Amino acid sequence: MNPTIRLVVPSFILAGALSFCFSAGAQQSTQLDLRRLQSYELSRELSVVGTVIKYEPASSVAPMGVHLLLQTASGPLDVHLGNAKLLQASHLDLNPGDNVRVVGESLALGGGTYFAARIVQKGTQAVAVRNAKGFPFHSASALTPAQKESLRGVR
Amino acid sequence: MNRLLVVLASAGTVLCAGCGGGGSNVQPPPPTGKYSLASLNGQYSFVTSGEVFASGSNVPTPLARTGVFIADGKGGIMGGIEDVNSAGQVSPAVQISGGSYTVNADGRGTLTLNVSASPISFGIVLTSTSDGLLIDETSNGNQLSTGSGNFILQQSTPFALSEIAGTYVFDFPGMDVNNNPESFLGEFVVDGATGAIPSGFFDDNDFGTLISGAMIPGAVSQDPSTFSAFGRGVATIDGQNFVFYIVNSNQVRFQSTNNGMLSGDAIAQTSNVPTSTGGFNGNFAFVLSGSSNNGGLTRVGRLTANGATVSNVLADTDDAGSQHPSNILSNGTITFDAANPGRGHITFQDPNFPFTFVFYLSSLNSGVIQDVTETTPGSGAGIVIADGSLLLQSAGPLTPIGPTQPYAMNWSGIVTTGGNFPIQDEEDLLAQVTAASPNQTLSGTADLFQFTTGTLLTGLGVGGSITINGDGTGGDGKRSGLTVDLTGANPITFVIYFVSPQTAFFAIHSGNTHLDAGVLKLQL
Repeated sequence: MNPTIRLVVPSFILAGALSFCFSAGAQQSTQLDLRRLQSYELSRELSVVGTVIKYEPASSVAPMGVHLLLQTASGPLDVHLGNAKLLQASHLDLNPGDNVRVVGESLALGGGTYFAARIVQKGTQAVAVRNAKGFPFHSASALTPAQKESLRGVR
Repeated sequence: MNRLLVVLASAGTVLCAGCGGGGSNVQPPPPTGKYSLASLNGQYSFVTSGEVFASGSNVPTPLARTGVFIADGKGGIMGGIEDVNSAGQVSPAVQISGGSYTVNADGRGTLTLNVSASPISFGIVLTSTSDGLLIDETSNGNQLSTGSGNFILQQSTPFALSEIAGTYVFDFPGMDVNNNPESFLGEFVVDGATGAIPSGFFDDNDFGTLISGAMIPGAVSQDPSTFSAFGRGVATIDGQNFVFYIVNSNQVRFQSTNNGMLSGDAIAQTSNVPTSTGGFNGNFAFVLSGSSNNGGLTRVGRLTANGATVSNVLADTDDAGSQHPSNILSNGTITFDAANPGRGHITFQDPNFPFTFVFYLSSLNSGVIQDVTETTPGSGAGIVIADGSLLLQSAGPLTPIGPTQPYAMNWSGIVTTGGNFPIQDEEDLLAQVTAASPNQTLSGTADLFQFTTGTLLTGLGVGGSITINGDGTGGDGKRSGLTVDLTGANPITFVIYFVSPQTAFFAIHSGNTHLDAGVLKLQL
């Protein structure tokens, strides 16, 4: 799949999502909500427009990967964009002051939540960073096939 | 600017994730032990899996190598062959025209293989004269590549295709045709007389889509020009093409040659493999790695199988830098698939999360395992893409045997660093360490290759310790820990599960700048 996808964000993603407030809602999530937010569902997706406050290609906050602090109409939003290598390969530069649109949804991690972007769009360029099931493109595995073999005790 | 050139230009810069001012000043000890150049003597099959920057590229791509090198016992490489798959781009049967190697007394050394335009380089640690661990340390003007792997002495030549016969259990993780994570495991039957694969069964998780079923018939066949010397052949498994290398009749190494980049070993299934819950008892440790919605993922743990029930489960998940220990697990069950020997499912649940795994046993004490937890039951959508190993634990207490034990240590995973390219990327570490009683204090030497910096660090000192709690099995609910100090770095903490006093695996236990899993293997 070509990692760079130029597209018009589908109209069914409602502009009303601009009223989405990440932090307040997320922090009040119940245990049941967190359970529900452990998997990505297209039906929950929102489209959010904002201005880049901070771009961190290697954030110290989980989940590992690119974090974008976005100023939205409802306040700042921490957006996870997955693997920086994908943005690099797609020649998508994000800098403070850029106006961007992100399509994604809140996911649970470590007792809290964050906004997982599936698509990030700047100007006319949109890059898909997750698939429809929410998995980041080009994410790496921590254990190589050879290590798995060596653990198997088969020699 | 070409990233390869930049990282090479910055090779003198020491950058280490987790380093802060005042990182460890641990120094490597003088190498001691029983190994020498003569310890590496014969024809070895090697594999690595990692990443590569090809010339002209500014983004690394996945890379898998499978091949053979011939060591002369005197520091020379007499020849060999390798197959390379870089994100689906295949370079078949690349000739290794020569090379060289070193082996220190502690089993650490270097391996250089001459291929085409420029050599490829590895750090090695012998775990015996028959096998060892290695990491790809290639860093030259044409290529920058990393990855972890191992090498195993092949059987004596000549090879015979009829040696591949019977049922084999396999785990081929890697990338699908679109370079996204895939886990493909199962079992297949080879007719030793014809090379046909008439039947098999698989479980596949392709970027979150779970599929399971009977295999399309396939076959193994020899490559006319390379089989007799190297045991190299080609195979079709469930419609996908592979190249393979025979290690011996019990172990064959595969690497895909179309539709993506999958690789792994197939292990002959023993005749006494459990086929029902009645034969499946004991303490098992497990390790899986892969991807989640959040990024990289590792799961390590242990369980007690008692027929159809599961108890004493302890598990640790690291989900993209967020660690989740599972201490309270319930509703554990085991079922077996009567139609496919050795295949079954394990389920258990902690208060927040259900776990479901499929496994294929290759013997009473070993198998492969895949996470098949669905987002919602019956959806066919996996909550993660992860697979790994399931191994019978020795009886406790599990501690390193003897006052001072030498181990080979290898980990790989993802690291987040600053430096010239402040992104997350692969890291691979290879070390030789001794664990000294009574506190299992570590001392050794390591090579570390972090692709975020492109800087290969060799000869780092290794310190730290293994903290064994309870009997070391985890069956008593007590986790054991591993702390590693590297020269110039802050301590890295892992949770460690011993399979036996000879083997353990570990995964990051705290912090979010590393997402690693690794293995500790006793040197024999």
